[in-house]
Amino acid sequence: MLFSTTEAHEEFRAKVRKFAEEEVKPIAFKLDQENEFPYDVVKKMAKLGIMGIPYEKKYGGAESDVLSYAIAVEELSRVDGGVGVILSAHTSLGTYPIAAFGTEEQKKKYLVPLAKGEKLGAFGLTEPNAGSDAGGTETVAVLEGDHYVLNGGKIFITNAPVADTYVIFAVTTPNIGTHGISAFIVEKGWEGFEFGDHYDKMGIRSSSTAELIFNDVKVPKENLLGKEGQGFKIAMATLDGGRIGIASQALGIAQGAFDNAKEYALERVQFDMPIAFQQINQFKFADMAIKLTNARNLIYTAAEKKQAHVPYGMDSAMAKAYASDIALEVCNDALQIYGGNGYLKGMEVERAYRDAKITTIYEGTNEIQRVVIASHILGKAPKTTVAGAKDKGPITGVRKKIIYAKGTAKERVDQLVEALKGDGFDFTVGIDPMTPIVDADRVVSAGKGIGAKENMKLVEELAKQAGAAVGSSRPVAETMKYVPLDRYVGMSGQKFSGNLYIACGISGAGQHLKGIREATTIVAVNKNKNAPIFKNADYGIVGDVMEILPLLTKALDNGQPKKPAPERVKMRKATVLKEPSHWTTYVCDGCGYEYDPAAGDEEGGISIGTTFEALPEEWICPVCGEEKTAFVEVEKYSSKEEK
Amino acid sequence: MQCTRKVTEDLYWVGANDKRLHLFESAHPIEGGVSYNSYLLLDEKTALFDTADWSVGKQFLENVEYVLDGRKLDYLVINHLEPDHAASIGEIVLRYPEVKVVSTEKAWLLMNQFQFRIDEEKFVEVKEGDSMSFGKHNIAFVAAPMVHWPEVMVSFDTTDGILFSADAFGSFKSLDGALFADEVDFKGEWIDEARRYYTNIVGKYGPQVMALLKKASTLDIKCICPLHGPVWRKDIPWIIDKYVHWATYTPEEKGIVIAYASMYGNTMSAAHILASKLHEKGFHNVKMYDVSETHVSFLISEAFKYSHLALFSVTYNLNVFPAMQNFIDDMKRLNLQKRVIGIVENGSWAPQALDLMAKSFDEMKQMTVLNEQVSVLSSVTKMTDRELDGLADSLIESMKQDY
Repeated sequence: MLFSTTEAHEEFRAKVRKFAEEEVKPIAFKLDQENEFPYDVVKKMAKLGIMGIPYEKKYGGAESDVLSYAIAVEELSRVDGGVGVILSAHTSLGTYPIAAFGTEEQKKKYLVPLAKGEKLGAFGLTEPNAGSDAGGTETVAVLEGDHYVLNGGKIFITNAPVADTYVIFAVTTPNIGTHGISAFIVEKGWEGFEFGDHYDKMGIRSSSTAELIFNDVKVPKENLLGKEGQGFKIAMATLDGGRIGIASQALGIAQGAFDNAKEYALERVQFDMPIAFQQINQFKFADMAIKLTNARNLIYTAAEKKQAHVPYGMDSAMAKAYASDIALEVCNDALQIYGGNGYLKGMEVERAYRDAKITTIYEGTNEIQRVVIASHILGKAPKTTVAGAKDKGPITGVRKKIIYAKGTAKERVDQLVEALKGDGFDFTVGIDPMTPIVDADRVVSAGKGIGAKENMKLVEELAKQAGAAVGSSRPVAETMKYVPLDRYVGMSGQKFSGNLYIACGISGAGQHLKGIREATTIVAVNKNKNAPIFKNADYGIVGDVMEILPLLTKALDNGQPKKPAPERVKMRKATVLKEPSHWTTYVCDGCGYEYDPAAGDEEGGISIGTTFEALPEEWICPVCGEEKTAFVEVEKYSSKEEK
Repeated sequence: MQCTRKVTEDLYWVGANDKRLHLFESAHPIEGGVSYNSYLLLDEKTALFDTADWSVGKQFLENVEYVLDGRKLDYLVINHLEPDHAASIGEIVLRYPEVKVVSTEKAWLLMNQFQFRIDEEKFVEVKEGDSMSFGKHNIAFVAAPMVHWPEVMVSFDTTDGILFSADAFGSFKSLDGALFADEVDFKGEWIDEARRYYTNIVGKYGPQVMALLKKASTLDIKCICPLHGPVWRKDIPWIIDKYVHWATYTPEEKGIVIAYASMYGNTMSAAHILASKLHEKGFHNVKMYDVSETHVSFLISEAFKYSHLALFSVTYNLNVFPAMQNFIDDMKRLNLQKRVIGIVENGSWAPQALDLMAKSFDEMKQMTVLNEQVSVLSSVTKMTDRELDGLADSLIESMKQDY
């Protein structure tokens, strides 16, 4: 056989390349500079018929093959890596799970408009604590009658918030790891489904990436994709295919950089000769071409295998890891060939250099690709146990987590103020609002939830009455520029170790929370009740900052000018009594041994996290050999309930 | 010469007291002695409930012989096979060869292991839900596994409402002629020893004790006959309430047990400073112990009683002082939970005790170590004095909360 694409494939490539050169190339720099999503380009891609390349015609697709899809992503990425990933995320992540695991009804309702390109798709798996390890998924879906109630959030979601249809992964059976995850089709616009951060990325800036927030989102039962508990399987199958898309994106970016460098090197003359013919550059081009060809062969092999429905998981992982690794090398060499000119904004090779980096990270880091490849070669690694890894607790340490939810906004604010005064905070004293964060005893910080710039007034006024300095989250200082850069609080910014921190409209990204670990008392005001900040706060009010901040300001205003604050004395952190473990333990009636799922039973081959119910019937007490039936549940007693 | 007492019309206490034993189980000091209770029922058939330790065998055998008054012994019901109650089984079987021994399957295995040599045809195996009639009296058997040992059962006389409760509801201290709890100052003189007995002997098995109490709550109990200490016929809900506290690891009182390990008095001084501050601030329910001078069984008993602990330890060979470590380990072994703990370390060149103590408590259930941890360098300074003040505030403040 001849290892080559068909004429039809090359014709298709020419068609997409023409489109990319004519429709994308002229605006690519602007999209990159302005972090702008190319709505028109996506519409035109639909017209061109490339939004559902591998899907059946009866569902609105082109019924073409996986290889054509790979070529399309490659060609778009050759001109703009961002546009390439729009197609990749839409086709292999947002659409594929519905095509492969959807019911007939789901396909009619969702697959058809996606494959036609009338709607855009996205895929939501990643969470702050579930990156490479989906077992850390914290978004939950609870079945209530004819619908599931979805709560939680997703981060780094490609195509959000533009996309219309989202495949979302959530825990339906807690504490059993990845087997408890299910997949759902969720539509934009449903009540409680909102978008948080739109990220300010290093590269692929024409693609949109945002955070998803779910607050009691009602998902109809019929939108469960596959069966309950199949979510992880669906996610893994989807990512196997998605890797072909990302590999193609990496290849396209590298190919674009290569083509540009070649053109430049043949024109640029130094030492009376086009620099392309300097031996050191000849060798560069040769090496780049070897890498590109290898990558292309790996990708096309994986695509053809997928098309032929033979196992391709290892091939797509190899293609993704290799293509993205060499994309960085090729872009680096290409930029080097450009010399100082390549280092300037507006140069395509500069953009390619930045765009390429993401491809070694997303849709499974290259480290994880190697885990996948190794597992195909060597089989599953023997189980290792990492004790207690899942029970880390909140980033800011153990906090009181008292959330005022009852009563009017004013009543909730009053309860908060009373609690703070009870803790010993004196609100008759004040400090300069521009006191450096590290020196301030109290800080009122604004997050993106603050909205328009004029709302910063609310924060400033609250800071004045609370006797606090003004701070912010990173985006508010860095992207929105509401406050100077030295006023943002976080691991990478200023660290706050004073007594009172009031977070207004801050959702609580890990890096921010790490900056307030030492705070004595943390107060959160946020309209999203699932925002991580509430798990990291002593007190919280769920509500709109526009409503709560003025009330809080008023409640703290004693009608007098603030007296100068005395020297800062670190207050005591609240004592939070330890909560019982969420695991249910069982004791043996034969000896008193206690089975704790948090510990498992290593010698008995029972891994950590196995509930007592899930223990095999033949399991026996590791200490005295009694049967499973001789165990009794350890009930949890609390004297709180009696009162 | 016999020394017996009548429990009811046809039930007799035939046990005996030991005031010479220093260490119960060779572990726990018992200055007040201990009683080994055995009960003899005279019905159409005669039935002996458990025996006594061999150390008091002579008295026990005389008592049985006297109460039987020439009748033969038909049954020996063994609720608990631990040798402080079962050691005289062999002698009973020798003296009354026709006696049938009634107990659980596991007790049978243990009897053989201890080589009490019972003929298999003389053994009657019973299990949960079985009952036997001795004439007027009907005895129901209730499994009570791990209410100290796995073979344990309790026997309930449905006719008179008498519960033969094995080790449950037992106590240290010899009876000295008394039989009923209402004949002694139980709430004053006895309760501490009852608690020390329960927490050190059965403390670990709270879940199983709760399971037994749940079963018992369905019975109309008029009298509890334990294997140690006095018989309960009045105020039964009071002692059951104590058991619920102990078995669920719920403190009886809001109070602070200060325990310190001090080599040259500096750590002791820190402990006294804290205690003074507590009183100064108006909190008076404070107990103080030197762990080197106090047997750990007393410390355990206090830890079960009170809601808070303040532990002071020197660093010793880069570890917690052995006596203190033993106290902490014993708490862990006995499954103590739900306590709030203040910790203070002392060290002169490399203090280690704080982190090690905190780590130990982290491995236990719901043990909250206060944030205000104090590290003393050799002796208390102005600075550490202020920290002790913070610890005192934190201890008092945290009293407001319940688990």
